[in-house]
Amino acid sequence: MKQFKIGTSWIRGVVGNGLTAELVTDFACAYGTYVGGREVVLARDTRASSPMLGAAALAGLLSTGCDVADAGVCPTPAAQYLVRSRRAGGGIAVTGSHNAAGWNALKFIDEEGALLNSVRGEALLDLYHLGEHTKASWDRLGKRKEAAGYVDAYLADTVGRLSVAAIRAAKFRVAVDLVNGTAAVAIREFLGFLGCEPILINAEMDRDFAHDPAPNARNMRQLEALLGHIRADAGFAVNTDVDRVGIVTEKGVALSEESTFPLVADHVLAGGGAVAVTNLSTSMMVDRVAERHGARIVRTKIGEGNVIFRAINEDAVLAGEGSGGVALMPVSRAFDGFLTMALVLEAMAAGGRPISDLAGRLPAFLMKKGEIPCSPDRVYHVLEEFRGFYRCEEVDLTDGIRVTWPGHWIHVRASNTEPILRVIVEGEDPERVERDFADTLFRVNTVVHGKS
Amino acid sequence: MSRIASLKISVSGVRGIVGQSLTPQLVTAFAAAFGSYAGRGPVLVGSDTRPSRHMVMPAVAAGLMSTGAEVVDLGICPVPSIQYMVAKTRAFGGIAVTASHNPIEWNALKFIGPKGLFLNQYRAEEVLDIYHQGEFRRVRDGEVRSVRRERGAFAAHLEGILKHIDREAIARRGFRVMVDCVNGAGAVATPELLAALGCRATVMHTSVDEPFPHCPEPIAENLQELVRTAREAEVDIAFAQDADADRLAIVSAKRGAIGEEYTVALAVKQVLKRVKAPVVVNLSTTQLVEDIAAAAGVEVQRTKVGEINVTERLLAVNGAVGGEGTGGAIIPAIHPCRDSFAAMATVLQLLAEEERSLEEIIDGLPRYAIVKRKAACPPERVFRVLRRIEETLGDGAAVDRSDGVRLTWERKWLHVRSSNTEPIMRVVAEAPGEDEARRLADKALVELKRCAE
Repeated sequence: MKQFKIGTSWIRGVVGNGLTAELVTDFACAYGTYVGGREVVLARDTRASSPMLGAAALAGLLSTGCDVADAGVCPTPAAQYLVRSRRAGGGIAVTGSHNAAGWNALKFIDEEGALLNSVRGEALLDLYHLGEHTKASWDRLGKRKEAAGYVDAYLADTVGRLSVAAIRAAKFRVAVDLVNGTAAVAIREFLGFLGCEPILINAEMDRDFAHDPAPNARNMRQLEALLGHIRADAGFAVNTDVDRVGIVTEKGVALSEESTFPLVADHVLAGGGAVAVTNLSTSMMVDRVAERHGARIVRTKIGEGNVIFRAINEDAVLAGEGSGGVALMPVSRAFDGFLTMALVLEAMAAGGRPISDLAGRLPAFLMKKGEIPCSPDRVYHVLEEFRGFYRCEEVDLTDGIRVTWPGHWIHVRASNTEPILRVIVEGEDPERVERDFADTLFRVNTVVHGKS
Repeated sequence: MSRIASLKISVSGVRGIVGQSLTPQLVTAFAAAFGSYAGRGPVLVGSDTRPSRHMVMPAVAAGLMSTGAEVVDLGICPVPSIQYMVAKTRAFGGIAVTASHNPIEWNALKFIGPKGLFLNQYRAEEVLDIYHQGEFRRVRDGEVRSVRRERGAFAAHLEGILKHIDREAIARRGFRVMVDCVNGAGAVATPELLAALGCRATVMHTSVDEPFPHCPEPIAENLQELVRTAREAEVDIAFAQDADADRLAIVSAKRGAIGEEYTVALAVKQVLKRVKAPVVVNLSTTQLVEDIAAAAGVEVQRTKVGEINVTERLLAVNGAVGGEGTGGAIIPAIHPCRDSFAAMATVLQLLAEEERSLEEIIDGLPRYAIVKRKAACPPERVFRVLRRIEETLGDGAAVDRSDGVRLTWERKWLHVRSSNTEPIMRVVAEAPGEDEARRLADKALVELKRCAE
């Protein structure tokens, strides 16, 4: 079966089996038509197929008459910054992001530097399906421009808006696992800017990924081992295009990827009265943190485009997801790994406390995540039937089914990337979580296999 | 109709108008088809100077890379240099991004196979079949190979040419030479060649980022500026290249544009001095080559129009020299392809050895007038047109039906065929006198139009 999926603000697939050069060309033509001939920023990650898909995107964009500002190997949040700073019409990032080797994707960036929201994503998709792209004549084709040399301006305009002096004064030693991704183009400048001493691993951009690039605890073992042996104030793991961050404490303990957002929120929301936006599958740690500061949490469908769009509409100060992506809304509309790392360092510097202490302040819940294979044509049937189990409780149908009780919730939804159903259960009572997790898996499995 | 006519997919490659038919989708898919055919490559990719190369080249690279082929990017590069490099580096093949002599809004892909020869009909059909089947070879992320940049193609090609040329003899004469590179791929190479041959050279239109100053086909009507400047400067000889530098026309300071047929004729004259082996030209080439070959005591063989047809015959019969009357001289010892640089060097050596002026050499050859016409013709009428031409005009002629129809009389011939690259029919007539040639061509044109309508 072909592995390919179209999302709100991206297309994603297995290279050579679903995601092809021709498909990327088509989408680039649709996107060039969508932005109406304005400049488009093009970025790519370090995957072997990214230059190939990047070339296809370049050809497609130029053919519609869009000039292309080619940022080369570039983190997605930096590309999002470039779209704004160049006043471009949009951007395309060729990156498999957190997906395993073998996958790749295009992320579509709007003129404000956010990933396309669902309205814009649908407009793009309509153009793609219509297939009638703008065709520029030979003298009106777009031109490719170099967009290198952006790192200093990007850091100054994003990270530079935090309390840099306080971070510099702390003289942190910071270990970063770059997973051989795009972070390498800016990590030394970033840590230098903040006066941190860098300890970098997997920093070669021309190598295969050292491990799966999603910055979760399972993939941070190398970083844990490193911090177990050498002294550092914090360890960070980023994914290929640096929109997600995972944290390892100074004691060499990897935190769950769910901890990044609440940990930053505990620092940013401290002012009080603010709004933060997250998705339905994110840990309720952030709800407790928000309560602590009198802030409000709004939940949306999964996906950076959806979360950021809602955050704009709610005038939120912070947006984030349990996968490790965080956006500081007044500064940028991107899940930005650099900014996220800087915010964690700022929190450490502000409180004068080690990161293990900050992590210790987070409420402790048990969260269980599971997945059940389910062919795409069965998903809605399964969800529909599964809904029948929960007549009385508070059911949210924004994205799959989320059932919430005080201090406890279950979320079952279709994956955005694979033909699977994801099951998440979280709560204060570990026994209840284990029990509900087992029950839910059993129930979903039963429905999937048609035995009721 | 204009939409249909703006795209031509044939064994010569795929050619279209940018902004209409030559889309990045089409280019990527064709490159993927060629990549599926080429295996792991390497595939050498180069372009002429058309502005649309900036869009077409990445589409070619993406298509090839998606099949796991190794791509070597030669940048702006004359087609004969791409062909030479494919052979020299034992690459699988190449893709030339060039619409050759077509106007600037066109672009095209030409497929080059092993040994640097264009794909012959059977190989080209295999690629077309893969394209139409749409099932391209796909590789996984980790198997996509990065593009290698190579900028030394012409240097290697020049070295290859100079091995077969008497540099000293040419340099001693210090020829005053003028060349019109039409801002094409020749611009990156021609000055180097002329410097190596010790010529006092004036090379015009070498700005590769500027549009063509005139239509890039090196025929008399496009060479007026060169004729005028060459006359004013009183150069020994002037040349004009097309956009991808495979074709060459010769201009005389005193006689003007003498016709692109003389390129092959003079190259044949020079090469046959040393090599006594057959000459191969296409059916539309001047009969001057027969006279020159007869004087040298070798035979002339004629093939269908199309570089690969001439080349394959040249290689099969171990021919000395040949080419196409449109200005494409082929000297197999250097490399069996149409090569404006090899032709320029060879003609200059002829001038050096003869110790006569270009005009004197031409005056020493029989004089023919060649007339070329073209007319639109619906594909379904082509066969009827050819039959009609043969029936009405074929009296007393030897008939050759291998490529359209060619009628040959004593010192006179007529060739009518459908173009490989455009939806038109071409008429070529040659006779000792201008009037006679024109009459013959016009008669054919009348019959053609009558049948086509």
